[in-house]
Amino acid sequence: MKKILIVDDEQDIVESLKFVLEAADFTCYCAYNGEDGLRLAKEIIPDLIILDVMMPKINGYKISRLLKYDAKYKNIPILMVTARSQEEDKLIGEETGADEYITKPFELAEVVKQVEKYLK
Amino acid sequence: MIKILLVSENNKYIEKFNKIFNKNIYEFSAMSDETLIYDLIKGDKPDIIIIDTQIPNLKNFNKKVKSTCENTIIIFQLNSEKIDKELIKYANVFFTDDMTEDFILSTININLRMKNSLDMLSNSNKDLADSLYRLNALYSTSSQFAGTLDKAKLIQYMIEGIDKALSFSLTCTLSLCTDDTPVLILNSLYELSEELIEALKVRTILNYNSVFEGKEIPIKLNASDLKIIKHIKYPASRFTFTLFQFDNMFAPISLSDNFFGCIEIFKETSFTPEDATCFQTIVQQVSLPLKSATLYQELIETNHKLEQLERLKSEFISIVSHELRTPLTSIKNSLDILMSGRCGEITQSADKFLSMAMRNVQRLSGIINDLLDLSKIEAGKMDFTFAPTNINTVIGYVKSALSEVAKSKGLTIITDTPDNLPEITADSQRLEQVLTNLVSNAIKFTPENKTIKISSAIVNSKDLKINEYFKDSINLTEGNYIEVCVEDEGIGIAQKDLLHAFDKFAQIENSLSRKAGGTGLGLPIAKQLLEAHHGAIWCESELNKGSKFYFAIPVTNILSPV
Repeated sequence: MKKILIVDDEQDIVESLKFVLEAADFTCYCAYNGEDGLRLAKEIIPDLIILDVMMPKINGYKISRLLKYDAKYKNIPILMVTARSQEEDKLIGEETGADEYITKPFELAEVVKQVEKYLK
Repeated sequence: MIKILLVSENNKYIEKFNKIFNKNIYEFSAMSDETLIYDLIKGDKPDIIIIDTQIPNLKNFNKKVKSTCENTIIIFQLNSEKIDKELIKYANVFFTDDMTEDFILSTININLRMKNSLDMLSNSNKDLADSLYRLNALYSTSSQFAGTLDKAKLIQYMIEGIDKALSFSLTCTLSLCTDDTPVLILNSLYELSEELIEALKVRTILNYNSVFEGKEIPIKLNASDLKIIKHIKYPASRFTFTLFQFDNMFAPISLSDNFFGCIEIFKETSFTPEDATCFQTIVQQVSLPLKSATLYQELIETNHKLEQLERLKSEFISIVSHELRTPLTSIKNSLDILMSGRCGEITQSADKFLSMAMRNVQRLSGIINDLLDLSKIEAGKMDFTFAPTNINTVIGYVKSALSEVAKSKGLTIITDTPDNLPEITADSQRLEQVLTNLVSNAIKFTPENKTIKISSAIVNSKDLKINEYFKDSINLTEGNYIEVCVEDEGIGIAQKDLLHAFDKFAQIENSLSRKAGGTGLGLPIAKQLLEAHHGAIWCESELNKGSKFYFAIPVTNILSPV
């Protein structure tokens, strides 16, 4: 079974994503802050990561960059979840390396579709 | 008395002229010693000098006399009838031995009259030069005034201007406008002792209070409040208390209700009426730029506050939209899961309410997107991707995207799009957004079984039929435009509301349309997006008959947004 890491400080969102992805036969790992997310990513080496942008301590863009610049992890597809706020626009400045962007509020079906696209 | 000097050793001449000038109106003297003569003419310039051409060293003597007594008439007494041509160069008037007394007197009189005129001319020349110098000083000072909005500099230029135009011993300038505290600027020729400065402080306060005599003093000042700025030209010497016996002038620096300060100026010799005028002029001249500078400063402060407010607003919108989006996502996700039936069977009535919740979640996210769009456009942060675009492709796309929705309401969308339209430089996604909005509105406000028509055409700017409501606010450059019209048979817009159709949240005013949903931001966004394309949007409508929304985009290449 393919492993998916979901990183979002909003527990409800993690919960719903987990629900639909498990229903689609993926194994889900969850992290509720950037630090845990980064640690878990290196520990379990998932097949795909769903990453929120605005999180306390380490934001999603930074995690994405850290993973994409590391040969060990750079092939893991990253789906970035964004609220399209101006605060995020300011952070974007550099290349984030994310493979896909999903804008909040998103369609769960759309997320599943994207995940399946990368994990065929 | 007419002072006449004869330079001669010849008794014949001395006697002759003595006899001619023996009346009271003449003061006649005769001398021959050069040194004595020089001493005499230096102190007491004669009106007329008659020089005997027989004296030794005539040319040299003549030169010296001329340089000492510029305006004195020099007459040569010739002793022979033959005139030395050389001598003509040195004098204009000659006496000869055979001249009668009358002739000599009349020659003297004519020359005296001429001398008087010359004196007058020379005096007025001097006055003219003085005035010119003063005018120059005034002119350069006033151009300095025009060149700055810095109040401290304005005060400094005023003092410099007064120095140039009048020259003074001391100026005491009280300035209330250049610093947080009142400042007393002392520009002095010589050093001032502590005691003298204290006295000047007290005097300045008295002057200040006198300006507001009989009125309330706006800011109560004490001598101890004054901060001293001292500029001394020659610090080696000192002024004493005799300074207060000098001639002085005083003027407040103010314009209507604005009081900037006051200035007192001291001079050892007395001021002329011209000095007074000049002083008043300069002081009056500085008040206008001081007022402008005050207004300018206020403007800068207001501007700064506005900028802060604008930043707060955009931060607010950003934070709010983020904070709204996140919980909205959770609600939407939960609804999605429930509606998928994975958590159990859904009854018909449950589905009805789940759909209702879903519809409103979508509406809410629409509002958030619109708000973000609008705040981005207003902040000039909206990114446009301009490329050659065929308007009919955009129309085709919007038609196919919305025909399902229209069909579900029993509406038909038809198009009238000529094939040969030129391309426009536009952001096709933004145009889709505009057109989707217009057609969605048409669908929303049109009753069943009616038609919505989208048409495109090429129109020259002078043939665009913009009605009276929008004519004044739309300003398009001349040239060809692609005009798109969305026509419906809906409820229409009342005439009085037409002008506000593109205002933010305008539809909130209209209770009928509120039922139809929508954010009230679609049209203002459309307006801003079209303006970024150098285009315009307007509408025509008749209540209960239908509306026509037009927009126009120039055909000529425009590579950057407004």
